[in-house]
Amino acid sequence: MVPLSWYLVFAFMLIGLGAYGMMVKRNLIRILIGAEIMGNGVNIALVAFSLYSPVFTFTGQGLIILVISVAAAHTALALVLMLMYNRRYDTVDLGTPIEEEVV
Amino acid sequence: MRLFLDFIPVIVWALLAVVLVIVMLLASWVLRPHVLQNSEKTSTYECGEEPIGPARISYPYNYFIYAVLFVVVDVMGAFMWLLSSSTLLWDDGVTKYTLVWEVILFIAIIMGAIMFVLKSLPDAVLDGKETLEQYRKAKAEREKEQSISGRH
Amino acid sequence: MLQEFEALFEQVEFLLIAGIVLVLAYLALEHKEIVYAAFFFGFMASFVAGFFLLLEAPFIAGMQIAVYTGGISALIIFAVLLLPRAQDSSLEEFATGRKRRVSLMISGLVVALSATLALVFPWAESFDEEIVVDLAQDLGALAQWLWVDNGIYVQMIALIMITALIGAIALLKMDKAEQMISLRGESGIGAEVESGESDPEPEPGAESEPEETSVVEESEEADG
Repeated sequence: MVPLSWYLVFAFMLIGLGAYGMMVKRNLIRILIGAEIMGNGVNIALVAFSLYSPVFTFTGQGLIILVISVAAAHTALALVLMLMYNRRYDTVDLGTPIEEEVV
Repeated sequence: MRLFLDFIPVIVWALLAVVLVIVMLLASWVLRPHVLQNSEKTSTYECGEEPIGPARISYPYNYFIYAVLFVVVDVMGAFMWLLSSSTLLWDDGVTKYTLVWEVILFIAIIMGAIMFVLKSLPDAVLDGKETLEQYRKAKAEREKEQSISGRH
Repeated sequence: MLQEFEALFEQVEFLLIAGIVLVLAYLALEHKEIVYAAFFFGFMASFVAGFFLLLEAPFIAGMQIAVYTGGISALIIFAVLLLPRAQDSSLEEFATGRKRRVSLMISGLVVALSATLALVFPWAESFDEEIVVDLAQDLGALAQWLWVDNGIYVQMIALIMITALIGAIALLKMDKAEQMISLRGESGIGAEVESGESDPEPEPGAESEPEETSVVEESEEADG
């Protein structure tokens, strides 16, 4: 069978990719996409643990249902905040306001 | 392995969908007349006038709230789907009576919020008249800028 | 013999889907056009649902496609379409090399630490045995876990959903108030009613016409 370490390594690679994307990118939408990729990686790790644990309960799967719905709510709010940011500064690039302060 | 054997029809459908899209695009590419494109042919059409500047002035943010509403109803639907695809509400025993009350409370909370949003939606977005004001103001500002830059 | 074929098949399946998900995630972050990146994210969410099927959680796979691909990915594409500045890919300046190295080190550190926590410690010995799950009544047991044993969390999810909805409406209301201030001036409604003349016939073209329209609108709002 597929050993659990494979699933975990893959989940950690997704988390690392999401973290790297959140730190390097300057566009706000790409940062949000990085956060969602990290969320997906965490979900995969949760379900993998739920399947391979010695006593099979539905804790992992039930938890994931709650996590997915909370992620949906917070993504909606984050996008509304981005719309407000765009109305105020007329850009979605993160670099510009800091440069204005320096100047 | 059993789950994979159950989902083979889904894979066949997915491949069919991809093949269908590619066939349609290929067919339109084959049947198109291939002529050269120049910049006048590919520019945007604006009822015969020359397009000045970008096409968006006031951002229609009021349509975004409907997408947020859809996501909330989608999550609610997922929970209902889980409950209705089990046999919990038809089993013998006491759980189904408490379950009905829980479902009613869940739906009532979300429906209350949806009704509140729909009632206060006219306060949160621009009217037709206000959008017209904003458009006229933006157009006047742009014409002022153009006249200033035209003088220099 | 059939057992070996099954094991090999599952490993090939895992590697295939994992490769596709990683390629799509990389494309979702790195592609120049934002609309393409948002669409690749939706695509990746569907393949992660395939991953959940591998892990024998069919309801989670369905919920992932319904909520992530159908909801969150559509929200992101909607927001990208509403923000014209985001689509101008020439505005996106790329991070400096030093920032890239530092973030690579930090994310590598995060991955290494979590890998150590999960794989090196003594509980890694029990990881390679698998439990065969009876899939016959799975959704019934899952519904039992969610609605009966832990029914309070479902109501908490309802509260979180209404938080998102009411928060979005409140933010849009605040934003509209700011816009009204920028359209009508800082003094607000009172100054317009005193200084303007009420002319109920709308005339197109003149620049003072917006103030007359707003005076008509304010008197209508005061009546109704």
